[in-house]
Amino acid sequence: MAQDAAGTAGARVSPQVDSLIRAAQAGDQDAFEQLVRTFDQSVLRLALNLLRSPEDARDVYQEAFLRVYRNLHAFRFDCSFHTWLYRIVTNICLDQLRKRKVRKEESPTIETREGPIDRMDSFEEEAAHANPERSLWNRQLKQRIDTALEDLTPRERMVFELRHYQGLRLRNIGEMLGTTEEAAKNCLFRATRKMRAELGDFT
Amino acid sequence: MNCDSILKLLPLYYYGELTPDEEERVEEHTHECTACTLELVQQRALAAALDRRKLVAAPALLDDCRSDLMAAIQGGAPRATRTMKGPWRLFLDAMAASFTGAPLSGIARLQQPIGALALIAIGFFGARLIHTSAPSGTGGLLSSVTSPTDEVYSTVRSVQPDNSGGVAISLDETHRRVVTGNMNAPNIQRLLLAAAHEDNPAVRVESVDLLRSQSGSTEVRDALLNVVSQDTNFGVRLKALEGLKPLAGDSEVRRTLRRVLLTDDNVAVRMMVIDLLVANRDDNMVGMMQGLVQRENNNSVRLKLEKALRDMNASPGRF
Repeated sequence: MAQDAAGTAGARVSPQVDSLIRAAQAGDQDAFEQLVRTFDQSVLRLALNLLRSPEDARDVYQEAFLRVYRNLHAFRFDCSFHTWLYRIVTNICLDQLRKRKVRKEESPTIETREGPIDRMDSFEEEAAHANPERSLWNRQLKQRIDTALEDLTPRERMVFELRHYQGLRLRNIGEMLGTTEEAAKNCLFRATRKMRAELGDFT
Repeated sequence: MNCDSILKLLPLYYYGELTPDEEERVEEHTHECTACTLELVQQRALAAALDRRKLVAAPALLDDCRSDLMAAIQGGAPRATRTMKGPWRLFLDAMAASFTGAPLSGIARLQQPIGALALIAIGFFGARLIHTSAPSGTGGLLSSVTSPTDEVYSTVRSVQPDNSGGVAISLDETHRRVVTGNMNAPNIQRLLLAAAHEDNPAVRVESVDLLRSQSGSTEVRDALLNVVSQDTNFGVRLKALEGLKPLAGDSEVRRTLRRVLLTDDNVAVRMMVIDLLVANRDDNMVGMMQGLVQRENNNSVRLKLEKALRDMNASPGRF
């Protein structure tokens, strides 16, 4: 199971983060920049894993932190900043995922001088590709995983992403998505069922 | 508990999301049931397989994101300002009106203190009214207010009572003013760039429209690209696209246009992007457009793409 240090750190109430927020609310640009740097790696990772496109992840990053910049004055400390930030980020990502569902998925390949390549192959993955004998199996598995993830509804995809890859608790996820823990549980259950159906013979 | 109800709990068991009671029931059951144990093994295998598709953002991507963001903010991304005249502002206006100015005579001498008292009264009742509706815990920003008459924006930063019954109030004031000048003047251009990020779409349209004539400057070009990629209002995006027409051959512009063509949800924007792209053919375009024709779900856009492709095939050197 993937655990996420930034996610859990963000969920804690940190006096240091609180003072950064207050300073940023008072117009301190350096404090705002530090605040961004505290959370931006996990935001970028979430966007990248959800949208599987560095260009889109970059757009989400920009849009999310610009919204934070414009609306920070309205943050009242009635929830953790991490939750507030993730509400913004998940909303933007859900919009993107919904648009894609309507307009169909972006091509998984990009054109290069050497011909078409998998859009994400230019990106570092945690999996090592040391064993060439398994490369075909790996490629097939990768395609099947991508298909399985694309078959989820945007909401299922989001809950799964936040739980599996970001390591957040379902209670927090429910709070971020404006729903209950129970609904988040149901979403996670449906997502895993669908993926088991798609990837059963690979696991 | 039977297998069906255990199967429903297994994913949550794996993710540690069950209550201790539920967890115990799952463990008791799987201890004796081979089928459910196998299910749990498969759940773990699925999770392990999915872990292999976890992506890590390249450090360069993070750096790019950070510099883009700071550039956008320094380029004038506005903070939202509130528009109500708060009680502190009224109070401070009253104090200012009472204690400043040259010596006065007659009824005029009484006008300012009377005005001050009236404003204090309004401030008092205003504060009572606002207190019931405004959320508490505003942090360091008490108010950022505008007045229809004095056009002053003010933010109280701190209120510090002293031992002698007085108070020290620290505040920032911003006065509204009109700046006029030639479009080529650097200060006017800076203001227009900032206005292109304003919350009001009408202001954004006007500013982008004026910036169009200056698209030769890199700063303006970047601002127009930013608008095309980011602005939520398609009218503003179209204006910015018009401004990018003379730069349709620029590689940075084309990179953004290709991304917009793939992601923008507005038909008019996508149509205009196609026009700009085909006006300067490049090698990356044909494959991208061919791919897009298959996926485009709007007829007009698809027809335009098909026509563009046909034109390019008929006379590849023409563009």
